[in-house]
Amino acid sequence: MSIGRRQALSLIGGGAAFALAPRAGAAPLDTVIRNGFLSVAVYRDFEPWSWRDAEGLKGIDVEIGELLASALALRVSYLELIPGDDVAADLRNAVWRGSLTGLAPADVMMHIPVDRQLALANDRAVIVGAYYRESFAMACNRERSPDCEAMPPAFKGRPLAAEIDTIPDFYLSSVSGGVLRGDVHHYPTGTAAVAAVAGDKADAVVATRAQIEHGLLAAKDRLVQRKGPLPMMMSPGWNVGIAVKDNSRDLGDKLESVLAQLVANGKVPAIFERYGVVYRPPVEA
Amino acid sequence: MKRFSTIVALGAIAIAQVGPALAQQAGGPTDADLMASATNTKAVLTNGMGPQAQRFSTLDQINTQTVSHLVPAFSSSLGGEKQRGQESQPIVYDGTIYVTGSYSRLFAFDAKTGEEKWQYDARLPDGIMPCCDVVNRGAAIYGDKIIFATLDAHLVALNRETGKVIWNKKCADYEAGYSMTAAPLIVKGKVIYGNSGGEFGIIGRVEARDVNTGELIWSRPTIEGNMGQLNGKDSTMTGKLNASWPGDQWKTGGGAPWLGGTYDPETNLLFFGTGNPAPWNSHLRPGDNLYTSSTLALDPDTGEIKWHYQYTPHDGWDFDGVNEFIPFDAMVKGKMMKLGAQANRNGFFFVLDRTNGKFISATPFATKTTWASGYTKAGRPIFIDANRPGAPTTTKGSSVFSAPAFLGAKNWMPMAYSKQTGLFYVPSNEWGMDIWNEPIAYKKGAAYLGAGFTIKPLYQDYIGALKAVDPATGKIVWEYKNKAPLWGGVLSTAGGLVFTGTPEGYLKAFDAKTGQELWKFNTGSGVVGSPVTWEQDGEQYIAVMSGWGGAVPLWGGEVAKAVQHINQGGSLWVFKLPKA
Repeated sequence: MSIGRRQALSLIGGGAAFALAPRAGAAPLDTVIRNGFLSVAVYRDFEPWSWRDAEGLKGIDVEIGELLASALALRVSYLELIPGDDVAADLRNAVWRGSLTGLAPADVMMHIPVDRQLALANDRAVIVGAYYRESFAMACNRERSPDCEAMPPAFKGRPLAAEIDTIPDFYLSSVSGGVLRGDVHHYPTGTAAVAAVAGDKADAVVATRAQIEHGLLAAKDRLVQRKGPLPMMMSPGWNVGIAVKDNSRDLGDKLESVLAQLVANGKVPAIFERYGVVYRPPVEA
Repeated sequence: MKRFSTIVALGAIAIAQVGPALAQQAGGPTDADLMASATNTKAVLTNGMGPQAQRFSTLDQINTQTVSHLVPAFSSSLGGEKQRGQESQPIVYDGTIYVTGSYSRLFAFDAKTGEEKWQYDARLPDGIMPCCDVVNRGAAIYGDKIIFATLDAHLVALNRETGKVIWNKKCADYEAGYSMTAAPLIVKGKVIYGNSGGEFGIIGRVEARDVNTGELIWSRPTIEGNMGQLNGKDSTMTGKLNASWPGDQWKTGGGAPWLGGTYDPETNLLFFGTGNPAPWNSHLRPGDNLYTSSTLALDPDTGEIKWHYQYTPHDGWDFDGVNEFIPFDAMVKGKMMKLGAQANRNGFFFVLDRTNGKFISATPFATKTTWASGYTKAGRPIFIDANRPGAPTTTKGSSVFSAPAFLGAKNWMPMAYSKQTGLFYVPSNEWGMDIWNEPIAYKKGAAYLGAGFTIKPLYQDYIGALKAVDPATGKIVWEYKNKAPLWGGVLSTAGGLVFTGTPEGYLKAFDAKTGQELWKFNTGSGVVGSPVTWEQDGEQYIAVMSGWGGAVPLWGGEVAKAVQHINQGGSLWVFKLPKA
């Protein structure tokens, strides 16, 4: 963790960053450079990407945001976003309009799925700069569920964990005609679901690959990751990128090229490694 | 804490040194006054103009003959740079009009001049994300207090004379997605309200707090399997664990009663509607999913469920069941009965026996209902299976065109019941939606399997339709068609009139028997508030809030495009007849 980031984060702690940072809202490249700040929106409670603990705000997206800012010789400030009903709401609140209650949008939002349909349906935002390939994975408690490679029906009757209202939840509730539906235990976050398995409350968890691998970092002795594919998993995975406002395409393009350099020179993969997540480059569209 | 949470408005500075009137009850409306508010023409003491929320006034000075002369008495601005939707219903008492405004504000205006007496601005945290605009639907008055709910899910009781905070209680966690927008209901010294927060993995709760202290008295979860609370202890479980919910889905099943409720003194029952179940995709939760999309009849003293009726069992279309349930009496097969009516999101108008929840009838009041062909005598919908959105597998599930749309044949906007005509006046909308369950919707950075939808008008020339419904037959007696969707409440009077507002900015008066438009006035912004009437110094007044907003411009798809050029606003308009 670099000193620069700590300084930036300490400013945020007491809300001081908002007092110092210009609150004009999302801005094109020239304006952002003139302001001297890059405001970066990240999700709240979204371990390992962006979350708060005793030390403050941390995570992969938080660190990448800081790298992006420093590559442009800017200071960084963060907008921690409570997720809305869907990503369209998040783009509205964090990228192009700001929240109804007056929170100004950020210059760039991390962790937006790079998807053509999503981009077409949200034309006030521009989605660029894919920096990771996400997908779903499964992990089991070593003692409670020794065969993590078994087919789904074999888990019937064993407590399973998933984040509420996510593909892992719906996968476990519907796979093999729904035989596991009664065994799914719902948790508020993927990290909490992984922790339930590490902490002996459930036998297996389906979550994002990043959440599983990050969970393994702390509990390798208790968790084992499934090697085989998940039968009938409906999502093949998706690319994760950044979003800017539609009047800030130049900022988006600049950040995209900076991101590519940061991936190529190993700085971004090094961040993933610190959080236990295997870096996977985005798949070419 | 209480003092810090008061952002003192300009008007309150002069009286800021006056200590809060804590011990002494400075008069004001009592429980008995609230229960009798439907017949009190000198004041408007409750949301709905009576605990039954019939929104009917016995006043007749303004009537079908005189209404064409109606003129503004005054207009009072809510000011501020930000306006948005004004869905409030005014409360009128002792020469003061109380209205809540967007962004959790409460105003007291002089009822004769419109001059502002005081204003209270709730200090809202940066992070709140209200799903469906920053609206508020009104306040409740009791003794020396005026009480309202805020967008960060607090209930705030203010001194009605000074606007100073008496108590301020957090009812739910806004960071988990909760907010509160409904007007509280006060029964027997208790403030009764429901929480909101639909799709964030929550369960709905109806709760009661002591009106004088804000302390929680009881809490009743709206999903079976969850434990209720009474006086700080566990009371009883709602329903029977796992009877209609698989696995642990009952822990996160939705069913938010976010619109508040009504109360019937005759049966001593509270009626609260509950929201749709979560998740949206109904294929993942086989069973009726009790008690979502229902009306619950609750004991106001304990929060126990006395009866329930489920309008849309196993909902797959987002047919939220929160719409108000209005008690009324009528003849059924030659017998006078205690009934209740609800105009549901799902397009059917329901009449139930309010003493026991027994089904009497369900008749379509929307021109098109694709999801069910009707109801059995037992009150179960006859589903049209082909019109349930399909189960998604590895790709998007089959898409169906469904009418009504998820915004409902009728949404939050309250209907009125006229004791004079025996008709219900229902502010409704004619729209449908393409809906599908899909694996490609994204949530919090991850692909998630949910539902997608696009709202479409059913007809070229109109979406909104004010309908006069005969509860005995379900027949539409008359209908007024409006180009833009209707999103405001209705008032009926013994003057033979029905009032409602339109997004185009008009407050309109109709002949209650024929639907003929008799009067209109443009308030300058869309009307999504609920009109009221009262008598003051021998004259009858009509008041309504103006200010366009709400869920339509935020969620309406193609429909939103039709209303995107409406200017925002925030004004209380008050009308009367000119003195002869």
